[in-house]
Amino acid sequence: MFNYSATKETGSKSWVYQRITGIILVVFTIGHYILMHYQPDNGKTYEAVLGRMQSPWYRLIDLVFVTFAMYHGLNGIWNIFRDYKLKPWAKISILTLLIVFGLAFVFWGYQIIFSIPFIQ
Amino acid sequence: MQENNVNKFKAYEQKKWLQENLSYRKDTGSWAWILHRIAGIGLIAYLFLHIWSLSTLSQGKEAFQHKMALYNSLFFSVLEWFLFAFVLFHALNGIRIIIVDWADGARYHKQLYLYSWVIGVILFVMMGAIMFSHLIKF
Repeated sequence: MFNYSATKETGSKSWVYQRITGIILVVFTIGHYILMHYQPDNGKTYEAVLGRMQSPWYRLIDLVFVTFAMYHGLNGIWNIFRDYKLKPWAKISILTLLIVFGLAFVFWGYQIIFSIPFIQ
Repeated sequence: MQENNVNKFKAYEQKKWLQENLSYRKDTGSWAWILHRIAGIGLIAYLFLHIWSLSTLSQGKEAFQHKMALYNSLFFSVLEWFLFAFVLFHALNGIRIIIVDWADGARYHKQLYLYSWVIGVILFVMMGAIMFSHLIKF
């Protein structure tokens, strides 16, 4: 059972997902950088964050952004490990760690986004 | 005759993996591959750090501003600017990889690598102008 789990998947689907999320992340990340820095003095204050977060669309983009970034990043790390001949127990441990940490941090990100109040 | 040709290839010595890898003659594609990985590892590490540091947003204004005071310093701003270099390299080289995979880019991938550096340096300087516009007096 150990010999096949984690190795049977050829990775052709994740190869496509990696490219699709990658193209979206290019736009999101560079946009995010410009948005956060074009006002160096007051772009990153609490009020500025609160103001941006009043738009549900901005929140939605942030949710998609953190999800795609985490998927793309951890899938990339997993691809690096897949380049080496690892023992099956090492593969399963690494994959489990990546999934657990990835999910934990993504849900932490969601929790942060939803914890920011809407002001009427 | 054929045997001699086969023997010309040097066997890969697994135990000397570091020397083997360092002595491998690297061209455009190898460098792009190495830098793409380094940048990628850096970016995912930053994403974890980013979520951790923004978690103060859920603790209210005081906690957030206390945290951000550190990141708003000039030192961290410069680090953030160099993080953008990682973003740019990974983004532009990622586009190059997609062109190689899906648009016959293998025929001109070396030119693409050169263009990605030129575009990257220009965008890096432009981002510096945006990020430090409050410090630069014209």
